[in-house]
Amino acid sequence: MRPRALVHLAALNLRSDRRGTVVNALAACVGAASLVFFVSLGGGVGKAARQLFPGDARLVEVVPGAVSLGAALGGGALDDAAVERLRELPGVDGAWRRLSLRVPVASSRAPEGVRMNWPTGFTVQVPVVGVDAGLVAADVASGRRFEDPPAGEPIPVLASRRLVEVYNKTIAPAWNLRRLPPGLDLVGLQIPVQVGFSIIPLKTEDRVYDARLALAGLSDRVPLYSLAVPLETVRRLHREYGKPDAGYSSVVLEVARPDDVPGVAAAVRRMGFAVDEGERAMAERVGLAITVVAGALALLALLMTALAALAIGQALSASVRARTRDIAILQAVGATAGDVRALVLLEAGLQGLAGGVLGVAVAWLASRGVDAAALRLLPDFPFRPETFFSFPAWLPLLGVGVSTAAALLGALAPAALAARVDPARTIS
Amino acid sequence: MISLRHLRKSFRDGEREVAVLRDVDLEVPAGGFTAVVGPSGSGKSTLLYVAGALDADFEGEATVAGKDLRGLSPRERAAFRNASVGFVFQAFNLLPSLPAVENVLLPGLFAPAGRSAERTRALRARALEALDRVGLADKAQRLPGRLSGGERQRVAIARALLSRPAVLLADEPTGNLDAVSGEAVIRLFADMVKDGVTVLVVTHEERVSAAARQVLHLEDGRLR
Repeated sequence: MRPRALVHLAALNLRSDRRGTVVNALAACVGAASLVFFVSLGGGVGKAARQLFPGDARLVEVVPGAVSLGAALGGGALDDAAVERLRELPGVDGAWRRLSLRVPVASSRAPEGVRMNWPTGFTVQVPVVGVDAGLVAADVASGRRFEDPPAGEPIPVLASRRLVEVYNKTIAPAWNLRRLPPGLDLVGLQIPVQVGFSIIPLKTEDRVYDARLALAGLSDRVPLYSLAVPLETVRRLHREYGKPDAGYSSVVLEVARPDDVPGVAAAVRRMGFAVDEGERAMAERVGLAITVVAGALALLALLMTALAALAIGQALSASVRARTRDIAILQAVGATAGDVRALVLLEAGLQGLAGGVLGVAVAWLASRGVDAAALRLLPDFPFRPETFFSFPAWLPLLGVGVSTAAALLGALAPAALAARVDPARTIS
Repeated sequence: MISLRHLRKSFRDGEREVAVLRDVDLEVPAGGFTAVVGPSGSGKSTLLYVAGALDADFEGEATVAGKDLRGLSPRERAAFRNASVGFVFQAFNLLPSLPAVENVLLPGLFAPAGRSAERTRALRARALEALDRVGLADKAQRLPGRLSGGERQRVAIARALLSRPAVLLADEPTGNLDAVSGEAVIRLFADMVKDGVTVLVVTHEERVSAAARQVLHLEDGRLR
């Protein structure tokens, strides 16, 4: 039988049994809609969580060991020799140092060029950490340099990409400050600061001078509530203020593959150092929770799809039994068992396809509805996404494909039943 | 054209073997019009289904339109039915959900692609032509339920004619028809014979057998 003729006949059959067709397509629709809805919800929430916890799966943050035994094993202080040993560990691609600035830095004025209605007398202590340029090289805006500047020049800084969102959604409302306008290019923004000044009594250094920090970019590799400056700048300020450098605050190791992380972390611990897994562990826990919930929901959706397949199978079995004589007539005029099987499968496939397309549309509309409801009902929190759903191009194809496949699967038994019809016995 | 030799067929009814056809010999020449008459349960329909390759479970020899039906695979039997045989049944056997024209073009849908891969539009034109031949061109879009018994049987004949078969096999074709409709069907058969179609009819109606050139009696599974 020619495919065109097969489609023609299947379409005629479906049209003649409109009620059955609609019921079967709706069953497929429910399965496809739930699958697409839950998978897109999992993807969307996962994307939002990754913005909130942008943990890099290939980074290991090494901090000095808490137990003194580490010193005996060659651990203890994170000095240059320790950094070299860490860099030599198998699987490690790079080792970058971080050194917290021990000289207080505070800001009493709004960044230049931004209207922020800075409250009079309002001073913010600015935590500063020096980092190797290599750690943030990819995040430094083009045309900007991330190195210790000559005297009198602004110090280049990088802020956490998340800080802007946290400022707009939490800090600004709490302190009644203006939010940063959306789309504002922050690179080049200059923040007037006082080096050596602390808002904590008795912590202000003897020498306090004015300086400017110039934003050179935003990075996920900068701690949320810190500004990153070149490591050499921190060393210079420590020299200026007579602060001894007793090793680095931490060393960030970049490993070749995420799978290498546990091995590298174990080797680090054997060297007597500790691994700071706070943010990373949080990101992993959140990621795992989302994966588990999204997986469970997708499983539920697959179960619904399987039930839809069963319902379609049952309905088609009944339909085939009711159409036994019709099938025998088709055989009498030349249909082979294969033609009959293909016809029943095609009818199911078309119902699954139609249900799948409808299901994808229903899921999309439902997602729009949920987003609209969330926009109205949920408070404005940092990193609240525009949408809680993600619709990659493959997802509609998955929905339609799964519902079609489920319908075909459900139709296997009815198709076999139809192909077994004995025309001579049925017609007589 | 139709040659059945030593044809035997039986059914198993529990422990009992029930013979339906007992050593039947039948010869219908090309362009012949043969009627097989006999009481109900005499095996007339079974004989027809064997000759039409609907029933492959028989013993003996059956050669129809030049094909030895014994060695055919299910696929070959289907192709044979599609290309060489037209069936007309007492109960019309039209698909109730399809309009008359769609019923008529059914055999065309199952034609092997290499033989007559005509587009559906051309097929529809041929189906309308067949309906016109049986005088129902104006009722092409009617569902079978909205046609009279005689009209339904004429649609069934149009369907049987679509593939221009060599053989027409009819099982009690006038059994459900009134006298006028029955006469119209018999006239159509006579026209087909004139066109060279070999017609084998099983019936217990005198008016049908009277139109046939050869009348055979089947009783208790044997032709007399």
